[in-house]
Amino acid sequence: MSIQAHAVSWSTAGRLIVDDVSLAITPGDTVGLLGPNGSGKSSLLRLLCGLRRVTRGVVTFDDAPLEQLNRRDVARRLAMVEQNATTDADVTVLDVVRLGRTPWRSILSGWREEDSTAVEQALVQVGMESRRYQSWHTLSGGERQRVHIARALAQRPRELLLDEPTNHLDIQHQLEILALVRRLSTTCVMALHDLNLAAMFCDHLVLLKEGRVAEAGKPESVLTPERILDVYGVDTVIERSPHHGCLHVHYLPRKEMTLPRKETSSQA
Amino acid sequence: MSPMQGRFAGARHRQGLHLGLIVLALMVLVLSMALAVSIGEIHIPLATTFKALGNALGVSEYPLDRIHESIIREYRLSRALVAACCGAGLALCGAILQALLRNPLAEPYVLGISAGASTGAVCIMVLGVGGGAMGLSLGAFLGALGAFAVVLALSRGASTSPNRIILAGVAGSQLFNALTAWVISTSASAEQVRGIMFWLLGNLGGVRWPEVTLALAVVLPGFAICLLFARALDAFTFGQDAAAALGIPVGAVRLILFAVTALMTATMVSMVGAIGFVGLVIPHAARFMVGTAHVRLLPASLLIGAIFMVLADIVSRVILPHQSLPIGVVTALVGAPVFAMILYRARPPL
Repeated sequence: MSIQAHAVSWSTAGRLIVDDVSLAITPGDTVGLLGPNGSGKSSLLRLLCGLRRVTRGVVTFDDAPLEQLNRRDVARRLAMVEQNATTDADVTVLDVVRLGRTPWRSILSGWREEDSTAVEQALVQVGMESRRYQSWHTLSGGERQRVHIARALAQRPRELLLDEPTNHLDIQHQLEILALVRRLSTTCVMALHDLNLAAMFCDHLVLLKEGRVAEAGKPESVLTPERILDVYGVDTVIERSPHHGCLHVHYLPRKEMTLPRKETSSQA
Repeated sequence: MSPMQGRFAGARHRQGLHLGLIVLALMVLVLSMALAVSIGEIHIPLATTFKALGNALGVSEYPLDRIHESIIREYRLSRALVAACCGAGLALCGAILQALLRNPLAEPYVLGISAGASTGAVCIMVLGVGGGAMGLSLGAFLGALGAFAVVLALSRGASTSPNRIILAGVAGSQLFNALTAWVISTSASAEQVRGIMFWLLGNLGGVRWPEVTLALAVVLPGFAICLLFARALDAFTFGQDAAAALGIPVGAVRLILFAVTALMTATMVSMVGAIGFVGLVIPHAARFMVGTAHVRLLPASLLIGAIFMVLADIVSRVILPHQSLPIGVVTALVGAPVFAMILYRARPPL
């Protein structure tokens, strides 16, 4: 087990956001965190990487409590890709990816050969090696996300956490980013909204409801009509897609939600 | 292999270029300080200035006009050095604050830190708080820290909206300016008021060698500390959480750099008054020349700030015959339009 959460809770401003969550991440897996808005996905990610301190419980990395590790040691093994992180500064792709070497450099050490190698490989992995001198502000949303992933990979992490990496992207770029993440040998934990994409790209799913784990396991055991109805309040039919072999969720509109069909076409 | 080598060669080439730029900037700084020493009510030839400098350093013994030599030694050289230190310090503060707060408009004057330092200094000068045991600098320092605390408290949650810190700075400035005005109008004598008003707009008159020592003692170590955190400042590019995720001890870095910034601002304000906009304009100019990496940006801001302030001081002395303008007026005349320009450019897209 790489990262484990043992009965972790977190509250802020008197509200309990993450409530008694336990989970264990298997090395090499791609894990999807699912749940409605406000169910605690982002908060849980922040607890797992130590950006927020747990109120109760403990997070461990290879059985070592996270609180005993210093920030730099954490950053050397775990990288985080935040949601829509951007900047006003006029930086290039290369500048951003080089930031990933920060935890590996001491205050006075110069830029070393291994730093260049890590940056170079990260750029190649996300396919941005020819765009290295391009300004951040000229990149599209999908390209920015790829650069963020490259920055995270330059950290040479064993675990990569991503907070809704496909947010605000069109479907082509969503698929592209998720396929990229899927290809990585790094253990990945990502918060996702789209159940079908989660079923396609994740080995393991964790479904959150109001800060608690409603279900965790293989997509087959998590994505069931009963669970989806319980957590999202939406009726579904779930079947294995004949096209790609993964589970596919069909959302059924409730009666009061079905709009009366416009009859203009029949009049015409 | 060859592109790799090409890149390293490129990096070396760029490093050489930056070293060259630094040497060039140092030469411009020396030249502008020599000009500042030469120009004034009594004109002193540049050659005399350099000769007097050689004499002062003990490397030469040119026979010079005694009056010229003492004007240079006692008045103008110290003034030019303090101007350089102030410009350097304020520009450095601006660069640090813009990085930590992720706001292109952040600087000591806009954030009200200068106003707080003024209030602290005026309290010492007029009210005699601390019974004379507390120096003007200490009063200004406490005022600066107080203003900083107020602005940070007002802007809690600034990470979600970086513009809130500027609004908080405006509120803080108004508050501290009101307090200063209150103290002046209730307690100061007419004589004191004239002195204070001139001083609140920035005034380099009256600085002598003790001020030079203090300014150097604050700016040089301050610069060294900031330079140690250059890489940490880079990591703030995408915000505090991103910096923390890159292994930066965000709380400690912020605390240290805010303290250094407050100390530098307070020292400058206590010596020469609240000079505005230097911290805003210079880092932007420096970024334009050397890019955003702080290991280059900080030295560039330091040097350009020093040059700018020395030149602004010359302008403030020669623009009106037989009279000198407060230097804060000159810097504001340059700074306010630049502030407006940045504000315009930073507006959200329609």
